[in-house]
Amino acid sequence: MIEALVLTGFLGSGKTTLLGHLLRQPGFSRTAVIINEFGEIGLDHELIEASEDSVIALQTGCLCCKIRNDLATTLYDLLRRRDDGRIAAFDRVVIETSGLADPAPILQTLMTDASIAGRIVLGGVVTTVDAVNGADTLDREEISVKQVAVADRLILTKTDLAGPVQPALVRRLGALNATAPVVTAQRGEVDPQSLFGGRLYDPLAKSLDVQAWLGAEAHAHAHDHHHGIDTFAVLRREPVRAVALTLFLEAIAEHCGADLLRLKGIVDILESPGQPAVIHGVQHVFHPPSWLPGWPSDDRRSRIVFITRGIPRGWVEALLDAIASEVADVSAGENM
Amino acid sequence: MSRSSEHLRELMTQSLPAWRLTGEVCGADDGAVLVSCDNHEIRIAPAPPGVPFRWTVTIDGRRRTAISLIAVLRQVRTALDPGYAAMRVRVATVPLVPS
Repeated sequence: MIEALVLTGFLGSGKTTLLGHLLRQPGFSRTAVIINEFGEIGLDHELIEASEDSVIALQTGCLCCKIRNDLATTLYDLLRRRDDGRIAAFDRVVIETSGLADPAPILQTLMTDASIAGRIVLGGVVTTVDAVNGADTLDREEISVKQVAVADRLILTKTDLAGPVQPALVRRLGALNATAPVVTAQRGEVDPQSLFGGRLYDPLAKSLDVQAWLGAEAHAHAHDHHHGIDTFAVLRREPVRAVALTLFLEAIAEHCGADLLRLKGIVDILESPGQPAVIHGVQHVFHPPSWLPGWPSDDRRSRIVFITRGIPRGWVEALLDAIASEVADVSAGENM
Repeated sequence: MSRSSEHLRELMTQSLPAWRLTGEVCGADDGAVLVSCDNHEIRIAPAPPGVPFRWTVTIDGRRRTAISLIAVLRQVRTALDPGYAAMRVRVATVPLVPS
C-alpha cells in the first residue's frame, strides 16, 4: 500500500514552503507530489525542488470541486507509470491542496474511489496554520476551519514572524481539533517524523463536525466557498526594476489589506538578470523576496498570481504600469 | 500629456471602482488629471522642473505636494474614501538585488 498524505491549509499558510523542506529530507526521497493550485497559472510546482517526473501540477481549478475527479485519475495514472517503470518507484504521495480547497471531498476520494482502492491509503492530513494571520483567517474563512478540523497534525507556521506563539490561537486550534498535535515550524522547517506518524486516517477520531462534513460529501458538495474570491495573474515580458516592485507591493498591501488573500510570483528583476525574485504575500504580510539561481522553466515572463476578494485586475495592472513608468522616469532623470 | 500622466489617469480611472466609488476622471490640456467624485474636485498635475516633488494634488482648492504616485494615490483615497485605513507595510528590509 502506498501512503497518501494530504497537505492542506489556507492560502499563504506555508504549505509549499513546508513541502519544499520535506522533500529535501532523505526520508522523503521516494515521494511523488501532486500540487493543486487555485490560480490562473500555477507556480508552486516550479518552486518545489524535486524530480519533474514525480511532481504533477493540477492547475486552474480547486481540487475539491471542478477537477476533483482529476485527483483519482492522476493517482491512478501515477500508479500505472510507477508499475511500468516509467517513473521512479515511490512509496508515498503527497497531495498539496489549494489554499481554498475544502478537504472533505478530497479525503472522501482517497478513501473511497474504486480506481485507487487497494493501492493507495490515506496516511494522514497535515494542515498548516499561519501564526501571524491564523486567528483572523479562522474568523473570516469557513474553509480554514474545516482544514484545521480534519487535520492529523497542525503545523503552526511563520512563528519566526509572529514572535511567541499566541496561546489564544493554540487554544482555538485545540477547540477545533482536540486530537491533532500542534507542531511549530520556522521557515517551513519541521521534523518530518513529527508530521506523519504512520497512522491511517480515521474519520471516527475526528470531531462531530468533521464527520458531518465527510458524511455530507457522500450526497452533495456545495460550491459556495469561492464566492467573492477572484484569482488572476499579472504577466510582464519586460523586466521590472527592483524599486518598482517594492513600491508596487507596498501599495498593494496598503490599499488591499485583508482583501489580498494571497500573492505569489516569480519576477524578472532588471538589476538581476537570470536570477528571478520569488515573492510571497498574504493579506498584509509580505516576505522579503528570495532569489532563484535561475529560471525554473523556459517561461521567462514575470508572473504574479493574485487571489483576492474584490480587487479588480484592472486596478492592479494600472498600478504596476504607473509605478514602473514613474520609476523609469526618475531613473532616466538621474542618468541625464 | 506625458507617459506618467497617462498612466496616472488610467490608474485613477481604475481606482474609483476598485474603491467602490463612482466618479469621473479626465485629462486637462496642461497634462493634469481631473477627478470628480462625491462632490470632491481633485486636480493632479505634474510638478514643475526643479522642485523636490513630482506632483501637486489640489483637493477642493487645497494644494499639496506628492513625491510619488504612491503618495498621490494615498492622498486621493484619503480624501474620497472615508472608510479607508491605510495598511502600511515595509516590504524589503533586505537588499533589492541578490547579494
